[in-house]
Amino acid sequence: MGGLSLNYIMRRLLVFFLTLWVAATLIFIIPRLAPGDPITAMVARMSQQAGFVENADLIIEGWKERFGLNDPVYVQYLRYMGNLLRFDLGLAMARFPSPVSQLVSRALPWTIGLVGIATLIFFTVGNLFGALLAWTKTPKLVKVLIPMSMIFTSIPPLLAGLLLVYIFGFLLDIFPQAYAYHHSFRQPEFTLKFIGSVLHHGFLPAMAIVLVTFGYWALGMRGMMVTIEGEDYMILAQAKGLKPFYVLYRYMIRNAILPQMTALAVSIGTLVGGSVLVEVIFNYNGMGTLIFTAIREQDFNLIQGTSFILIVTSALAVLIIDLSYPLIDPRISLEGK
Amino acid sequence: MSEQRETGSERVVLDVDNLRIHYATPQGDVIAVSDISFELYEGETLGLVGESGCGKSTTAYGILQLVQPPGYIVHGSIEVDGTEVLNLTEEELRKFRWTGLSLIPQGAMNSLNPTMRVKAQIVDVIESHEGKANYESFRERLSVFLRKIRRPRRGEPLKKYLGEWLRNLTLLLRYEPLKERIFDLFQAVGLPNRIYNMYPHELSGGMKQRVCIAMGVALHPTVVIADEATSALDVVVQRIVAQTLVEVKDEIGVSLIVIGHDMGLLAQIVDRIAVMYAGKIVEIAPVENVYANPLHPYTQLLIDSIPSIKERKPLKITEGITHDPRNPPSGCIFRLRCPFAWEHCALEEPPQINVEAKHEVACHLFDEQFEERRSNAFAAIANS
Ligand SMILES: Nc1ncnc2c1ncn2[C@@H]1O[C@H](COP(=O)(O)OP(=O)(O)O)[C@@H](O)[C@H]1O
Ligand code: SF4
Ligand SMILES: [Mg+2]
Repeated sequence: MGGLSLNYIMRRLLVFFLTLWVAATLIFIIPRLAPGDPITAMVARMSQQAGFVENADLIIEGWKERFGLNDPVYVQYLRYMGNLLRFDLGLAMARFPSPVSQLVSRALPWTIGLVGIATLIFFTVGNLFGALLAWTKTPKLVKVLIPMSMIFTSIPPLLAGLLLVYIFGFLLDIFPQAYAYHHSFRQPEFTLKFIGSVLHHGFLPAMAIVLVTFGYWALGMRGMMVTIEGEDYMILAQAKGLKPFYVLYRYMIRNAILPQMTALAVSIGTLVGGSVLVEVIFNYNGMGTLIFTAIREQDFNLIQGTSFILIVTSALAVLIIDLSYPLIDPRISLEGK
Repeated sequence: MSEQRETGSERVVLDVDNLRIHYATPQGDVIAVSDISFELYEGETLGLVGESGCGKSTTAYGILQLVQPPGYIVHGSIEVDGTEVLNLTEEELRKFRWTGLSLIPQGAMNSLNPTMRVKAQIVDVIESHEGKANYESFRERLSVFLRKIRRPRRGEPLKKYLGEWLRNLTLLLRYEPLKERIFDLFQAVGLPNRIYNMYPHELSGGMKQRVCIAMGVALHPTVVIADEATSALDVVVQRIVAQTLVEVKDEIGVSLIVIGHDMGLLAQIVDRIAVMYAGKIVEIAPVENVYANPLHPYTQLLIDSIPSIKERKPLKITEGITHDPRNPPSGCIFRLRCPFAWEHCALEEPPQINVEAKHEVACHLFDEQFEERRSNAFAAIANS
């Protein structure tokens, strides 16, 4: 029978945790491969700005001790892993003494909201357009209009974002150019006015992601639909005299969407990467902007923490898609037996 | 050969007239079906045989209006119970499908939608032609449910009590008015009820084929066309499924066209046989006549090449159609492979000649004016 087998769930969970472990380890190693160390770099920058920092050597030594950078590498690694398990991501040096986890927990919901909604839109629109492109009963006009809507496909999200800001934010001035909500709100609140402001501010960044992405999904879907159209069961569906619209969604889209789901799981990493840049353009209060700040300030703790959390979130999204796959494809759990 | 089978009435349910179907290719049109005509009588089983590539499936798809591009119907007429199929509008055709003509497809392995349960694929065809099954309202079912629930009896096993509870609850939540009807279909084709909720990939090849048969007769169509319905199965299952097909056909009372290339298997189940060669019907006759007295040289070759377990004989038939289907030879379509061909065969296309009752053959040898040539030719063959 279709559905989730325990074996399948266990295997996916294993892959999930393996991904996290590899990611955490890489995040630990990479900054340590670079020459110099963050404390020295920071103090050097401070002295550049102030002209002179008193007792610079002492400060560097003290902070190194404080952050445990003098311990042997394996001790640092174990402590780092132990902290991760407790979701203790350390302190952000750039915004001392805010804990990284606090900064992340403020930014993450915005990114999840933005990317989640954008994904929902481009996946739905893309697949629907693709299906309509391939369907033999689609009106001619629609088949001409859809490809025209896909002109943004394949330009980088960064450029699309800039273009949108320029046209709608600057020239037409109908959408705000930056931030996730209006500055008159001191902090998020649960009112209609606030939600309206969030939607107003989120529209352009979401569009920047949707516009450059949905064309790929439409083309992929069209390819899948054409393949499905040649299947034996489609001839039988035609012979059965089923209603055309029913055949479209129950026989064609239902089967063509399965590989699209797999493709979505695979593309989530790229998607998140692209949205980081979009956030930076719009100065959106999400993870992208936070990472950007972290990199600009050379705050290693913050870079590590934000990267790790983004990877966890992406892996989690992949896990959810993977786990929902057997529910939509009855054949898949066989493999897990 | 098989015992005399009842040939049903003389009422024509399917009348194919001068049907021609081409496939457009860059090098010119492939003539897949070339001006064929035949009739199917009520309650009858007609076999359509011929080598692969001779146009059997295309004929079937032509009748069903399912010819896939680049194929197209050049001309012809297909009447089912007096309705001209080619004149139907798109929506009329949709409604006509499966009630007038149904198909048991060639590739049963892949002919079921992999993401739909067996029941849903039968339900959808019933509901799209008969409308949504008459669902009892939830309130009615709720009152039945409330009437049925009771306290456990003293000493009653808990499992039994809970089982009954669960059944009632299922009836309340998932009322399936077509279930009994589908079970009847399953029984007719020898399928166990347990496959009702299964997906196609959970069935064996024979089971899938039976599902296709059950589906094909679900609406009691006028004509059922089975296109190599058993070819993908192993030999034993082939015979059993073919037998099932005939039984169901008799039980439900439809007319049947069985397409195949296995003359032996067809002999067991059909009343009449039409032999096709390169898009043409070269001989059509009651099954006993074809086996006892094959007339067309091609039919003779086919019958001769049925393997026999009693004797070993060299195979006379050579492989495949020899001419280019875009550019058929002049005159008789078979003349390039025919052992009896003479000049006249290249000049004129042989007409359908009625040799005896219901027995037609398209070969010049059976023209009265060439009678002498025929006797000589057949005598030579008999002597060799
Ligand atoms: N899509 C197609 N394009 C071109 N020729 C085709 C196509 N489909 C079938 N044909 C040709 O039509 C002829 C009849 O094919 P078909 O009806 O499938 O034969 P059968 O069912 O008897 O094996 C063959 O010569 C085949 O090559
Ligand atoms: S018409 Fe001529 S070529 Fe054709 S089958 Fe008869 S004898 Fe052979
Ligand atoms: Mg065929």
